[in-house]
Amino acid sequence: MSRIEIASVSKTYDNGVAALKPITVDIAAGSFVVLLGPSGAGKSTLLRTLNGLETPSTGEVRIDGEVLGRANLRAMRARIGMVFQQFNLVGRLNVMTNVLCGRLGKRSGLGSLFFLMRRSDLERGHAVLARVGLTDKAWERADRLSGGQQQRVGIGRALAQEPAVLLADEPVSNLDPATSREIMDLISDICRRDGVTTIVSLHQVELARRYADRVIGLNDGNVVFDGPVGDLTEEVLRRIYGDGEDGGEYGGEYGAEYGGEDEGGHGGDVADA
Amino acid sequence: MALPPLPKKPFNPTPVWVALLAALFYVVAVELDVGFAELAWGARDMVEFLSRFTSPDFSDLGRYARLMGETLAIGLWGTALAVVIGMLAAPFAARNLSPSPVVYRVTREVLNLVRAMPDLLLALIFVAAIGLGPLPGVLALGLHTGAFLGKFYAECLERVDRGTYEAVRASGANFLQVTVWAGWPSILQELVSYAIYVLDRNVRMAVVLGLVGAGGVGIALTTTLRLFEYSRASALILVVLATILAIDYLSAWLRAKVR
Amino acid sequence: MWPTRSGWPPAGALAAAAAILALLAVAAPAAEIDPLRVIDSLGAMADFAGHLLVAPDWSYLPDLAAKMLETLAIAFLATVIAAVLSFPLGILAARNATPHVAVSHLTRQLLSVMRALPELMWALVFVSAVGLGPLPGVMALALVATGFLGKFFAETIEAVDTGPIEGVAAHGAGWLQVRRYAILPQVAPDFIGIVLYILDHNLRAATVLGLVGAGGIGYDMVMSMRLFQYDRIGLIALAIYVAVTVLDRASDQLRRRVI
Repeated sequence: MSRIEIASVSKTYDNGVAALKPITVDIAAGSFVVLLGPSGAGKSTLLRTLNGLETPSTGEVRIDGEVLGRANLRAMRARIGMVFQQFNLVGRLNVMTNVLCGRLGKRSGLGSLFFLMRRSDLERGHAVLARVGLTDKAWERADRLSGGQQQRVGIGRALAQEPAVLLADEPVSNLDPATSREIMDLISDICRRDGVTTIVSLHQVELARRYADRVIGLNDGNVVFDGPVGDLTEEVLRRIYGDGEDGGEYGGEYGAEYGGEDEGGHGGDVADA
Repeated sequence: MALPPLPKKPFNPTPVWVALLAALFYVVAVELDVGFAELAWGARDMVEFLSRFTSPDFSDLGRYARLMGETLAIGLWGTALAVVIGMLAAPFAARNLSPSPVVYRVTREVLNLVRAMPDLLLALIFVAAIGLGPLPGVLALGLHTGAFLGKFYAECLERVDRGTYEAVRASGANFLQVTVWAGWPSILQELVSYAIYVLDRNVRMAVVLGLVGAGGVGIALTTTLRLFEYSRASALILVVLATILAIDYLSAWLRAKVR
Repeated sequence: MWPTRSGWPPAGALAAAAAILALLAVAAPAAEIDPLRVIDSLGAMADFAGHLLVAPDWSYLPDLAAKMLETLAIAFLATVIAAVLSFPLGILAARNATPHVAVSHLTRQLLSVMRALPELMWALVFVSAVGLGPLPGVMALALVATGFLGKFFAETIEAVDTGPIEGVAAHGAGWLQVRRYAILPQVAPDFIGIVLYILDHNLRAATVLGLVGAGGIGYDMVMSMRLFQYDRIGLIALAIYVAVTVLDRASDQLRRRVI
């Protein structure tokens, strides 16, 4: 349960590209926020400043009031779990070991360098695997799993950290629609049940509509929308995705795949595209 | 019906380069007195010389086998030392792992420097410091090939997908943990492959290190040649050849196993 | 606990580790492994390092430069000769380009033997046959390099795409033409890369040939160590480092252009 403050954070790369214009946003503890926008809008960049994978050119990031800096980077990262678009598992290692990577932030001893973990870590690993539904795959090599399964391992790795914050960078962009729903369900469940502050970057509008409490729309490094998901109108979508793009096209195309039949219902209006 | 004219044929520099190379070769060959005539005479001398080797004398086989065993032991321990040094140095010399750009640059340069020193020179230094025998040979091989492995392992580590390192780092792991959990497992095959290559190479080098007093068959070979004992020399050469070919087969088998 | 089903490290890893440790233990006495001896010698090594900081013998520079150029020349000649010789040998050894399967088998064996023995050993034998000087050095390096390049060339040819071969042959191309127009263009870039690698390797090998009288800086290197001429050793080591590094950078540049 952590509050995140983004204060005037901007990012300009060495080659002059201004990926993020100064942004100030407050994220309440336990909320589910979606960063929405087209490719190149700066969603990933903003997300990555939150755990130090990108260093802001100006401004600072505060988590529960503590500024994220070089000195406390490791300690902060231990509390922030991250899920990646490309899953980013270590292929040769088995699923359990990949999940246990999440415990490394809390273990500095020599043992960890020889893959020696504590019994309590292993127990946590088993619990996490049960949560993501991969108990029977615990000892299999990670690169033998399907895309959806690999992403669940990635989520498991983040869960193993017992995180206060969960970041997900386009977690379902490499997955088919049905699997995407499963993954998003899982992430949403973690947020609601464990009270983990969750920030997900997506370009699929329908997914944002289904799962988010709050949507921050980005375009070309600027925040063009920030409000509850119910306020996500046609006009707003046009602002986010730019002129010449039919916001409705995004809604309709993805709506048919993601919106579809509502199994068990997960709150939020499936608003008309 | 007239066809449009063809575009001008682009200038092909290859013949120029080949001609330059040939010219350079000629000049250098003349300088060194290594012309075709010399090579031909040399080859003829060689054939005549080699004919003296046709009846190998294996009477001292026991001693040769023991010396070969010593040579193998030097090669083995040299490789073990090299793998340890290489694995310790590589993470610091990998741009995407190294704790700081300065450390990266310095480690790379030190590795290049040690790698440039011929094993023999290192062996000479160690013999002067430690005395004669196989131990200075082990150290010389270990240092020289350790620097080689350090560089090549570092390059393998650099080729690992950036995301794999990022993910482990994002969980709060430190430099060493990222190296062990995300680095080495991702390059396991290359790790073993290069180690085997170095073993191969070190056994060969161990044969000649004996020439500077660092143990093994080297000395025996020089002595037999100096004393014109060609039949003994040929026996020795055959022992060395057999051993190295055996190691070659073993290496190929090992490499196939780690697929 | 380890993250495996049993809680212990994986069986394969344990077995491999045990085998390696056992092998090292058996070899230790033959290699006279003794950490104490190494630690005792650290003082002598520090001494040696201190001596190196003595003012260098600048008057030696012209002689040094000449010997280094000779070393470079030996490496260059040997590499070119090997590159040229390995062409036909590689074709003969490749199963898909050879005139007959038996020829390929025989050639492969020949190449294997050429590579097996260390260059310095060949150099030793060749010096006995043709006398002192750079000629035996060039011959020795060229021999081993041909063995290596020939094998590499053969493997590259075997891995070639058959499409172009069939295409060219279907138009009635002769034996030689198929090789020139279908096989060669596919194989050329890799070949240049490896020739550069061989050149680098030969330069390093050429620096020690002088030990057995086969030319280059090697003789001076050994003599200055034996005579404790510290004012020269530093210069020699530096010269070798510079030569190797310059060649390294130049190869990189060339690689970038051609490959």
